[in-house]
Order: sequence, then structure tokens, then C-alpha cells
Amino acid sequence: MKDIAIIGIGVTKFGELFHQSYDDLVRDAAKQAVNDAQISMDEIGAAWLSTAFPEIGVFKGRSGMDLSEPLSLYNIPVTRVSNFCASGADAIRNAVNALRAGECDVAMALGVEKLRDRQPQDSIVKMMVEYGHPFLQKGFTAAGTFAVYANRMMKEYDLTREDISNVSVKNHLHGSLNEKAFYRKPCSLEEVMKSQMVADPLTVLDSCPTTDGAACVIMVRAEDVDKTKHRPIYIDGIGLSVSTGWDLPFFDPNHDFLSFEATRNAAKMAYTQAGITKPIDEIDLVEVHDCFSIVELLTYEDLGLCKAGESKDMIRGKSTQFGGQIPVNVSGGLLSCGHPVGSTGIRMVVEIANHLRGTAGERQVKGAKRGLSHNIGGPGAIASVIILNKEH
Amino acid sequence: MSYIKSYGIALPHFKIEDVVLHPKGKKGVTKSVCFTDEDLITLAYEAASKLELSPSLREGWGGINLKPDAVLFATSTPVFKSRYHASFLADLLHLPQGILALDFTNSTRSGTDALLLANTLIDSGNYKNILVVAADVHFPAIGKELSTPFGHAACAILVSKEVGVAEITAAKSYSSSLAEEFSYKINTIQYDPRFSRDAGFKTNLTNSLKDFVTNPKQYDAVILNSLYARMAGGIFAKAGFEETQFAKDTLISKIGNTGAAHGLLLLINELESTPFPSGRAGDGTILLADYTNGTNFFEIKTFGTLKEKVVQEQLKNVELINSYQDYLLLRKAGNYNSANYETKEMFSSEMMQEREKDTLQYLKGLKCDECGTIYYLKSTRCKKCKGDKFSTVQLAKHGTVYTLASEHYFPSSFPPINMLVIDLDGGGRVTVQQTDTMYPEKNKIQIGSKVKLVLRKMIENDAKPNYFWKGIKI
Repeated sequence: MKDIAIIGIGVTKFGELFHQSYDDLVRDAAKQAVNDAQISMDEIGAAWLSTAFPEIGVFKGRSGMDLSEPLSLYNIPVTRVSNFCASGADAIRNAVNALRAGECDVAMALGVEKLRDRQPQDSIVKMMVEYGHPFLQKGFTAAGTFAVYANRMMKEYDLTREDISNVSVKNHLHGSLNEKAFYRKPCSLEEVMKSQMVADPLTVLDSCPTTDGAACVIMVRAEDVDKTKHRPIYIDGIGLSVSTGWDLPFFDPNHDFLSFEATRNAAKMAYTQAGITKPIDEIDLVEVHDCFSIVELLTYEDLGLCKAGESKDMIRGKSTQFGGQIPVNVSGGLLSCGHPVGSTGIRMVVEIANHLRGTAGERQVKGAKRGLSHNIGGPGAIASVIILNKEH
Repeated sequence: MSYIKSYGIALPHFKIEDVVLHPKGKKGVTKSVCFTDEDLITLAYEAASKLELSPSLREGWGGINLKPDAVLFATSTPVFKSRYHASFLADLLHLPQGILALDFTNSTRSGTDALLLANTLIDSGNYKNILVVAADVHFPAIGKELSTPFGHAACAILVSKEVGVAEITAAKSYSSSLAEEFSYKINTIQYDPRFSRDAGFKTNLTNSLKDFVTNPKQYDAVILNSLYARMAGGIFAKAGFEETQFAKDTLISKIGNTGAAHGLLLLINELESTPFPSGRAGDGTILLADYTNGTNFFEIKTFGTLKEKVVQEQLKNVELINSYQDYLLLRKAGNYNSANYETKEMFSSEMMQEREKDTLQYLKGLKCDECGTIYYLKSTRCKKCKGDKFSTVQLAKHGTVYTLASEHYFPSSFPPINMLVIDLDGGGRVTVQQTDTMYPEKNKIQIGSKVKLVLRKMIENDAKPNYFWKGIKI
């Protein structure tokens, strides 16, 4: 497609940002993006705010006005997007569609989440324990809803706990190179496997932390790119799919717990738009939604980077490590950056854009021309795949 | 008169030894104790559900004439006030609204009170099958476990006008104005024990025996359920009974004194025992006397030896609680695991439970008319073939684990909580918690394990009745 260009990117540090409020995070990410695009705030014609869980954060982000207020961004359409952990990618998708429809000429998608003003068990765990249907799925935390995949995959394929934990080792190594990541310390396989068990076989180090953070992109139609000041990155393909429900995966006899149908669908949409037939050869780097280490392995297969059951070979062969054939989560992923839910999907796009621009610093994937970002929501029910291209 | 058509009993999975409750307690003497998610409703449901499984009732509930037209529920430890346990249970059992459903909740004699009324109602000709359920779950005050009689159990009997495993040939109740210990408003009142024993128990039993029993020698087994049972020998001897006629209470040292359920449990245990204390086997006559503030008498004739040994089988299926600390945790009187935090108020809605009763309570699923896939959750179109026509089907309560996860951070007195994704036999998939996992390593479930569904409380904090299915290893 490449009809839409990202011209401004901004991302805050991710972590326990006790000194920054929700509004501060919005201003931080938005100002970076606006400055990067070399536009004024008044040029923004429409905006999308992605915050997934206001009620387990600071009750901010329930509507688009929580973006307008800190930025004094008034008298334009501003919409809050909520699609669980895929909210960020969906905000971008909505902005892309508005540009295509001609609703506005300059669109902003900003994701922000403030979760660390709460105790860890007062955020996502609280949501799983206290909210939702009183019986269905009661007993699960987020980790458990992915551990059921890990256990089935280990049973079905020759996949080991070591393979799963090696994803965490790799991503924590990558995270040590990312100045904006929460965890910047590499860890050993032994440390991952011996850390506190969360949902067997997933340990604390196999699980991403909830963090504070914000990320922002500013987009225009490709024809409006001003090459004299912009460093555009083009949207090559964008797919989003809701392929099951919140409860259904655990009650659906058709479900094999080896794959996310949503990822496969979203990837198909994005690949078709981008004309990609052999992703492993045509994509230079990937950001994957590694909320739990098992998800990264499963996603290798769903994105078609390898065949079903072969993800273990990719991690064993280190082909997804920095310097490997197709580096995955060079940012450190969710495992290192943490998961400020609404901003994650946008942070990934910012990460890929930096690599394609050649501005990723120490962790720069050399010569990267095309990158993919993958964002899931709910129990793998929703997935977005966005393909970015350096070239028009 | 009436017949005992079928019966079922439910004992919790866990027992505790007296010596664990207190250093002065006896080794080998145990009491049945409910797990954190059990109460008298779940035990009563379990006992009543087993009526279907009992070989004496091979046709099951589906048998045209066997569906109960009344439910009589007995307990000395009610969980509801201003709500009938009997109608709540009738609804769980999918019996029709409007059915006669009465509670007997004032005494440990209430189990046989209910049996007495059931017998009378059948006798009246107005009722055909009456479900009598007695359940007791009493937790004594902390530190008083050895001085307070307790033990958790439920017992269900289907009393019918159709011929069953035994016949109630005579039944009568004799009141007494003297109770041994009772409550008045918030106070517990006790007479001098010698007075209540002599003027109450002895007098009442002597007089009622004189009235009820004409030929003491005809009984092959005499069951006396009373706290004073040990002192009754003389009274029975005077009435012309031999010591050899007495059926000893062999349950009390294994499951404790199960209150309102105890008299009926002793009766069922005797029905399944062979030979009778008299030495006869097969056909025989049992005298059941249940004393608490008055005596209920029953004369019961049995027909042949029963093959079922449900009491003995249930006694085998137990796990011992290791320590008093674990017992306190079970009663939620201790500290939670450090990795955990206290059970919070979880969202629950009576309206939702009522609306979704067919699915949540009765396990009704939908079968796609097109491709035959069976779904537990309601859906508009089949996920597999997109067909939009479904038929309602009854899902099974047993199946195979497809995958699972053990959750170490979901609040629980005994983490981790295992979440089981189960493919039910005959179709349909559900995801439920595993239960009876005080010691998870003893009940390890893996992919491929066979499990069955049991009804348990979902929310441990006892805020409201919240019953749903959980899985246990078969």
C-alpha cells in the first residue's frame, strides 16, 4: 500500500515512572512526535487515544478528552480506542483509515497507560480476580491463560521449558541495549527457570511486568510528505482481526491451543497488502507481543516465519537474536520494556520506525528496510500486524 | 407405609485426626472436614446426585415414576435464613418450581424428622416419591474441636411408594420437654447433665420404647443415635432387648458425629452391612431410634443383601489433613501464602446466575445441527461451519484434560489453583478450577487425565451463595 507515512515518532521511558503523571506521559510522547515531525500541535486534524484499562490505572483514558486536555488539543475529533492489549495498534489503524478517507490531513495516534500507581496485584491481577464473569475463567490470571498454550505445545511438539525460557534470556539481553526499557539487565537461563513460578511453566521472568509509558506516532498521506523535513516510514500493510472472544478460547472444542487464529488472519491481511509471500526473507526485523515468553514462540509460527512446531528451532538456532537471520524484539520486547497496555502497540511501531530510519543506536539492525510489528489483545483473541517500509 | 427406593451419601475428601486437632486427641480417630469450597449445599447436592448412580435405581431420575414430588431438607447448621434450603436444592437438582420443599433446621434429630414426614406423606397417598436430604457442616469454635461433636456429611434418601431396598413398616415420634443443651436467643443453656440425662433421655426413651416396641426380639439390628448412646444399654435391656442386637456406631470414630445426617447415615450403613448383629443376613428388621430432645422410632424391613457398599467406599476415598495450621487455613483463620493476597470481593450477580442457569447450573450445551460440534457457551453461529441452527444437549459431568495451567497468583488458601481445560465425554469443552487440592502434589492432574465435575463454591469469602463446577481427578 504505502499510501500512509509515519512522519513523527515519540516514546517515553517505560517503567515505574512515579515522577510522571498520566498527563505528563501524554505530553512527553506527543511533544517528541510533534517535534520529530516538525509540525505544530495545531496542524493535527484528528487524534486517537489508546488506553486499555483506566479502571485499574488512574481512571484516566476513558475518553478522547483525556488526550485533548493535557495537550490543549481542542476542536478536533479525538477518539479513545479500546481493544485490550491491541489497543495501540488499533489506534494506528483508525488513524490510517481516517487519513485514507480524507477526514483529516495529519493524524495522531497516542497510547498511554499508567499502571504503577497501583500495587502490582492491584492492576491486571485484580482485573482477572474481581471483574468479569463470576464463574467463567475464574481462577485464571493473565499468565495462566497463556500457560495453557505452553503446556499443550510442550505436549504436542518437542518443545521444552528451556526453549520457552530462552526467549526471555534473549529479550532481556536485547533490553540491556535499550535505554528506554524497564529491565536493562541480561539474565541467565537458570535465573529465568528458577525465578518465582507464576503459572506453570511460566515464571516471573517469563512474564512481562506492568509498567507506565506512552508512545506516539504522527501520520500523513504519502503525497503530503515533505522530504525536506520529514524522515517518512511507510505503512506497507496493516491488518487487525478479532478471531475469538474473551471466554470462547477456553470453551471452544475447535481450539487447539497451538496457535492464535487472530495473528494468522491479521498477518494474511498485512502480507497481502504488502505483497509478501515469504516473510522470513522479505522482513528484516520483527517486534512480537511477548507478554509471556511462550507467545513469542507461538507467534513465529503464526506469522509464518517457520512451520508449525518449528519455533523451537528458531530459538535454539538463535536466528531471532540480534545479529541473527531475523532479529525479534530487539527492543527487549514486553519482557524488558514492560507492558503499559495501551501504548505497547505504538511503542513497537516506533521501535521498527527507528530501525528503518537507522536511528536505533546500539541495537540498530543494520540495513533494515522492512519491519513487522505484532500486537495481540485478550487471550490471543485480537491481533494486529503492521508492516513498515523504509521505501515508498 | 413407604419404601426406601434409593440413597446416596457424600463425605468430604478430607479428614482430620483428633490428635492433629489437639495433642490429647486420639490417634486413628478422625472427622470428616469440608474443603474451603464445600458447604452443606454442595454436600447435599452431591449426595442427592448419587441417587441417580445407585444401582438400586437403575432407571435413574428418568424413571417415569421416580422423579421426586417433594424435597425435605434437614440440617442443624443452616446457611440460609429466610430462604429454604430445600427449594434451593430442588432448583440445583432441576426439579420443577412449585414442588413441595420444606426445611427441618432446628435440631440434629431433623434428619429423621424429615424421614418421618416423608413416610407420612407417602402414606397419605398424595405423594409418590420424596427426596429426603440431611446435611451438616458444623465447625466448632477454634480450640473446642474435641469437646464439640462434629463431622461433615450429607445423606440423601428417596422415599417412595414403589417397592425399594427396604420398607418403613412403622414410624413414630415421641417428644420430650427436656433438652440436654440448647440455645435461647444468643445464649447456650445447659441443665445439670445428670438431670437432663435421667429426667429427659432415660424417661423419654423408656416410655417411648414401651409404646413403640411390642416384640423386642424380632429386631435383627437396633440403631440408637444419641449422645447418650453408651448409657442406653440398661434401658433397652429392661425393655427386653439383648446386647447382641445392637449395631455399633462404627462411623463416629471415622467421620465424627455428623449431626442431622448421622441417624440416616447409620441406617444406610446398616442396610449395607451383612450379616446383621443378630447373625441373620438378607431379609431382616431394623429398629432405628434417634434421640435429641425426644425420640424418633422407625421399624424398617430389608429385602435381601445389598450389593452396594457406598458408605465403605466413601470412607476409603479420603485424604488426611497434615496439620492444625492447614486446618486453620482451611477455615480461613490463618495467614495466606506469602505469594498471595486475601480473597477480594469478586463481581457476582444473582440476575446473571438466574438468566444463565441452563448453562451454568445444568450444563446444557448447544449442538450445531450442521456439523455436530457441541458448545458449552451459547453462540449465534457455529465457530467451525458457521451453521446457525442449534439443538440443546445435556453435557456430561466427566471428561479428559486437554490442557491446563497452575495459577500461583490467583487468591486461594491453598495455591496454586489448577485451571483445567476439559473435553467432556460426548462433546463440549469447559474450563474449570481443580478442587480438593490442599496438597496439590497428591492430586496431580496432567494432560490426558480423566476428571469429573463437582459442584462447589466459587467464591471462598462466603459473601454469597456461588456454586459452580470444579474438576476432581477420577
